[in-house]
Parts: sequence; C-alpha cells; structure tokens
Amino acid sequence: MPEGPLSAFRIIDLSTGIAGPFCARLIADYGADVVKVEPPGVGDVSRGFGPFFSDTPDREKSLQFLYLNANKRGVTLDLECAAGRALFVEMVKSVDAVIESYPPGYLDSLGLGCTYLETHNPGLVMTSVTPFGQTGPYREFLGAPIVYEALGGVMYTSGAHDREPLGHGHPQSLYIGGITAAYATSAALYSRGMSGKGQQIDVSLMEVMAAHHVSPPNRYIYTGAIERRAPKKEAGSAKAGPHFQGVVPVKDGYVGATFQRGTQRPGNFAEYVNLLGHPELASLQESYPQQSSEFPKELDDALLSILKEWNKFDYFSHAASNSWVAAVVQTSEDLSRSPQLLERGFYSEIEHPVVGKLKMPGEIYKLPKSPYRLRLPAPLLGQHNREIFCEEMGVPQSDLVMLRRQGVI
Amino acid sequence: MSLELEPESGLLSGVRIVDATSVMAMPTAMYVLSDMGAQVIKVESHTRSRGGQGVYPDGEPGQEPWNRDGSFHQLHRGKFGITLDLKAEEAVELFKDLVRVSDVIAENNRPGVMDRLGLGYDTLRKIKPDLVYFSFSGFGQTGPWRNYQGIGRMFELTGGVSQFTGYPEDGPRRVGQAWFDPPNGWMAVFAILSALHHRNKTGEGQWVDYSMYQLAASTVGDGILDYLANERNGKLMGNSHPHFSPHGVFRCKGDDQWIAISVTDDAQWDSLCQAMGDPAWAKDDRYADVLSRSQHQESLNRHVGEWTKEYEHLELMSTLQGAGVPAGAVLNSKEVLTNDHIKARGLYENISYPAELGVGKRAHLGRPWKMSKTQSYIRRPAPSLGAHNDLILGDLLGVQPQQIDQLYELGAIGAHPVPIPQPVKRPSLDSDIETGVLVGHDSDYKKVLGLE
Repeated sequence: MPEGPLSAFRIIDLSTGIAGPFCARLIADYGADVVKVEPPGVGDVSRGFGPFFSDTPDREKSLQFLYLNANKRGVTLDLECAAGRALFVEMVKSVDAVIESYPPGYLDSLGLGCTYLETHNPGLVMTSVTPFGQTGPYREFLGAPIVYEALGGVMYTSGAHDREPLGHGHPQSLYIGGITAAYATSAALYSRGMSGKGQQIDVSLMEVMAAHHVSPPNRYIYTGAIERRAPKKEAGSAKAGPHFQGVVPVKDGYVGATFQRGTQRPGNFAEYVNLLGHPELASLQESYPQQSSEFPKELDDALLSILKEWNKFDYFSHAASNSWVAAVVQTSEDLSRSPQLLERGFYSEIEHPVVGKLKMPGEIYKLPKSPYRLRLPAPLLGQHNREIFCEEMGVPQSDLVMLRRQGVI
Repeated sequence: MSLELEPESGLLSGVRIVDATSVMAMPTAMYVLSDMGAQVIKVESHTRSRGGQGVYPDGEPGQEPWNRDGSFHQLHRGKFGITLDLKAEEAVELFKDLVRVSDVIAENNRPGVMDRLGLGYDTLRKIKPDLVYFSFSGFGQTGPWRNYQGIGRMFELTGGVSQFTGYPEDGPRRVGQAWFDPPNGWMAVFAILSALHHRNKTGEGQWVDYSMYQLAASTVGDGILDYLANERNGKLMGNSHPHFSPHGVFRCKGDDQWIAISVTDDAQWDSLCQAMGDPAWAKDDRYADVLSRSQHQESLNRHVGEWTKEYEHLELMSTLQGAGVPAGAVLNSKEVLTNDHIKARGLYENISYPAELGVGKRAHLGRPWKMSKTQSYIRRPAPSLGAHNDLILGDLLGVQPQQIDQLYELGAIGAHPVPIPQPVKRPSLDSDIETGVLVGHDSDYKKVLGLE
C-alpha cells in the first residue's frame, strides 16, 4: 500500500473545535501520524456538540468530532499538572509539528510555550490557530464564525440591501482557517527539510476572512469606492442585475443560474432561452436597448417562470454540459449520493468501535503515487494511551495505572 | 544567470513553478507560493484576455488598460510574466523548455485541453521525469461531471454550503464574492506542497488531480454525516446558530452599521446582561438557560437589538469584548483597510508599480498568518503583459536576442495584446452611489491608506 506524501511526519494535535482539528486532519489524510492530545474526562469541546450519531448525545458520537478527527490516534493528558506537562514535553521531543488553538499566552503560562518546547526540539514547527492571532490590539478578543465574517468585511456586502448583513449558516471561516493553517504548516515543514529551522506559525481567523475578502477592498485601494450590499440583489448575485443571476427556485429546489458561458465569455438572452427550450422568447429582448445596464423585469419574470419548469438536476446537467456556468443547491442527501463524489472516491468506509460503520467524506485531490487513505476512525477518548505512552515512549505499565488514578491521563 | 533569477530567500526558496492558470483560485495559489519564495513564472497568451474586472486607478483605463487593472494586480503580484501563444509550435516548444528547468507546472484548463495542446502529463513527464504536474478543475479529471464548467462562486451551491445559508423565510443565498476561489487556491497550495514532499522523499513526480467540488463538500463533511446518520439535511440559518442564543447581527447607531454577537454559554449571557445594565426583561425565565434562549430567540433578538441600536458599532464591540462577550463590528471595505488590528498585523503590503504605468503605490493582500523565522512577503508588482519575455526566454532558457525578435515577429510571443481590447466598462461612481451599489466614495483614499 503506497504511503501518503506526509508519512514521514509526526504531529501532535493539541487543538480543539473545528479550525485546528481540520488542519490536523488534512495533514493526517495525506499520511502523517497525528496524535490528538485531549484533556482527560471531557476531551475536545467538539465531542460535546451535536448533531450526534442517531441523535444520541455521547462524547464518542459527535458527528463533528468523528469527521474532524478521523485518521488520528488519541491520548489524554492533563497539561495543568506537572506530570502531564512532563509527559507532553517527552512527546514533543519526537514530533515534527504541534498544532494548537489555546488563547494566546495560555501555553506560555503553563511553561509550554514554543520557545521552551524548541529547547527540547530545535526544529519544531508550532502552529497556533486563534481568533485574532498572537499579536495586535484584538489578540485577547473572543471569536466566533459570525464575528470573523463581520470583521473580515465579507458580511457587509452579503445579504439583502436593506436587511441585516448575512453570514454563512455553517462555520465556513473555521474550515477555511483549517485549510490555511494546513498549507502554512506544510510549507514550514518543507522549508525545515531544507534549512533545519523550525517555525512558530501564527494564524488569525479574523485575517483568514479578511484575506478571503478580495474584490471590495481592492476597489477602495484603486478608486476610493466603498461597496455595499447591492440593491436588487434578490438572489445573491455578486452584482446588481437580473434576479436569475444567482440562486433561483426551480420545481424541486434551487439552482445557480447565470448568463455566463465558460469563464470569460458572456452568453446572451437568445442563447439562454434556447437552452431552456423556449426559443420563441428570444424576441422578447428586442424591445429593450441592447447595452442597457438595467435588465428589464419582464425578461427576469419570463426566465424565472420557465426555470420553474425544470427539476434542479435536469437544469444543472443540461446547462453545465452545454458549457454554461451553472450550479445546483445540493442538500447533504444530494451530496451523499452525488455520482461525481462517489465515482471520485470522496467517501471511504470505516468501522468505528462505538457507532459502527461510517461512510466518511474526505478525499479532496488525487495523488496517484502517494494517495489519500482513510486508515483510522476518530479516536475514542484516550484510546491510544497505552499504545503511545507505554509501547512507543516506554512508560512502564504500572506508571500508566497511577497516572490514570491521579487524573493525569 | 541574471541576478533577478537567482533563488530568493523564503520557505520555498529554489522551487520554480510554471503557472499556466487563470481566473481566481489558482492565481491565488500561485501568489501565495511566490510570497513564500517560490519562483512563479506566469505564462499567458497575448492573444487571449487577461481577465480582470476593470478596476483601474481612479477609474482611468489609461494607455494600457490591460496593465493597469487592480483586480489583475492583486492576484498576480509576485510573479514573473511571459507571453506564449500556444497555438504556435515555437511557443509550445518554449513551454517545454521552461518545464525542463522547473519543478512544478500548474494548469486549470478543462480536462483534455492540455493534451490537445501537446502539453499533457504523458508528454511533459518524458521531458522532466520528476515533474509535479498539477491539474486543477471544477470537478476533477474523471467522473460523469468532469467536463462541467466549475467556477468558485458556484461551489457554495453545488458544494452544499448554501443549504445552510440565507434568511430562513427567503431562500438560499451566496455570501461574499466568489466564495470558493480563495479556499481552493489555499488548498491547492497544500496539494502542490504535498506532491513536493513526496518528490523530496522518493524523487518521483506525479500528476495531481484536484477538484474544487471536493474541497467545497469537505467543508460541510459533518453536515453530510448528519444526513447519513440521522437523515437530516441542512436548513437556512440566517445569522442564528443551532444551539447558541443570542446569536446574530444587530443594528447599531448610524446608517447601515451593524454588530455580530455570538453568546455561546451562560457566563457570556451574564456578561452581556451586565453590559446592557441588567435590564428587567433579561430576567425572564424564557432567557434563563441556553436551551430556552434558543427557543425564544426571536423576542430575545428584538430586545438585544433595541439596546445595540443606541451605540456605534466599534464602540459597542470594545464594550462587549471588554465584558467577555464575543462580538465584532460589521466592517465595510474601508473600515477593514483602516482597522487597527489589521494594520497592526500588517495584513496589507504596499507595492510600487513601474512609473510608466501611472499606477503608483497600491496595497495588496498579504497572508493571514505569520512565521517567526522565515519571512514571506510580496516580491514584486504584477507583471505587465510580456514583461519578462527577455529575462525568462533569454537569460533562463538561453534563447538568442535575434531569435526572440523572430518570435515577436511570428506572434508566438507578444508585448501587446492582440487584438487590443476595449477597457472594461463599469458604471460611473455617481451612478453606483445613486443606485446604492456603493455606500460612498473617498476622493482622498490614497491619503487614508498612506499610499501617497
């Protein structure tokens, strides 16, 4: 079985929630040996978040935890006691990177800051994923996904013109923060291979959203113009314009409809109504000035009503296979059955000791010579304590019993 | 070799990348790699549009609008730029010569196009056996949807994010601009690096097949598991949260000012109550615990909104954060650019353009992370069309000056677009203000940004 490209690396995932764990999972998915270190008793906070498998609240059944921590092994360790810290420092000696998400200064206050850990492991890469980063006036502020979308500027131009700005209903900023931390960590590991130097990496989730927000700031930088949520942005289009340039209702759901063909070429009304099976409507446009920036409401209404004749997947495959830029609003059910995802091997099956068989989403890109592989389900709390502490680090079995009794693990 | 072509310091010092990509996601990946010290050589054709949204300095296209577009500058800074019209055999040969001395080639054409150009993986691996060949597409190189056009802003929908996003009574919406372009660019950086790690370990190159759709779907992986385990689909959340309350975006004093507040536990709720001056309504049993607050969020949000609307958004954020309540002002683009924290962290970097372009100094987005030992930074402004033809073809590939002249004559390379394009037309600032697309315009924006 070929190994993943990152199989030479050993990583400690000390992070909790979504961003840090997603970062660590991406690295684990492509081969690294990732050991999740959780506080004894409760574990990662995401173990407490629903939804749960079979809607049964249980720290081994959180779907968010199961998803974000697949491919990792897990130990428990109380960093707030001296014995726990000593064991942690022992672990750090043999790893390449630590990923953590504690508030800035917390690990320093325990004597486990990067500067100290580096004295035990000079090439260490330590990635901190925090709301606002380790420096700057907001560094002690509390974060949340809608807070990052608000402060990053993404939200101000999103939603209806006269309503409250709109954020995502699913914590996109945290997943994207995880991706950001993963590539930065990988780049630091690559560089270390050449230079031997480790790195402290400081990822700020507010800035992840600010760096995601490209076009409106750029317009200010070049012209001084400040964009707002566009009027007539009834359907989520990026620009003011016809209703159908965005998310529109069809017979059984919603699709993304545009006038665009290819990435550069605009389509036109006549071509579009022809695509939709109503060539007789092409003449409608002739009564309107060609270059008008206003798209007449009558044309909008005509398009919205003929789109209603379509089923979402019929529209999507018809438009997309004819080179129109198109999308379909897919539900989780649609994604679970997506012929493209199934064919591409996006899902793998894995047996979890508590919930049983799981179909796990995962593969993002194909590396034929060193592929993605789902090797492990998410760890039970402390599942690999014996394997890692005793078998790999040489802690005597009898000590393990004592550590457990004292609540260190 | 010219000094300009020596490896630069940085995380990826010594890595050379042929960038045959366009649009937004992959140009984003390429600029990140160049910030990290990789030498990125952007190959474009002077016979095709450079793209760009027509964001000219002060709205003036100038003599060479194709070299003055801010939306192009932002995405292509840091790269070297050459022109090759791959319809010409000579240009295809030069492309191969470039691959021969590079580590990575990245492309985002539709599946099959590179083969048709004679630049598919099987051809190029013979020239450079340990080549990392990175193909980026909407849906991947295989599968029933492989030929569908995929662009970033469509993947919020197809990737499953929009099932959660929108005002509940209204319908799904997209949020932000071209949402899945930057994240796919960033994940592409990770994917390219993983292939480089493999090459370092084994000496092998490979063909990486990247799909935007799969990255988008992976950001709702827990949602997919919820369907598989509980047959539950996502629902439109507005700005609310499945468990926490109050959680939303509330009106502040002043026109179109708002604040996002996310209370995730009882301690934060107590802090919020204190900050509000412990109003009587907050003592209602309906708001006593997380579950009950969540069940009564409509009336709760109304009360909170009555309070927030008396305050300026930034002032209120300081008050709430000081009290231990997660809160963030909804910032417009000017407010982001002039934000204390963004400035202190140095997210934007100022870059000077060549004097003859009349662009001056402009701010470009840096990266949302810092490293302690190895600095990443923007290496150079975005290249004008064909700016580095002589440098790359001459100094790097050893093409003689008279041969370069011949290539220009043949049209295999070019320094001007063919045909000369019309500037991108945009509505005037006045009309955009009138229609409400813009909230305002600062004529002194350069002073505001320190770009003078």
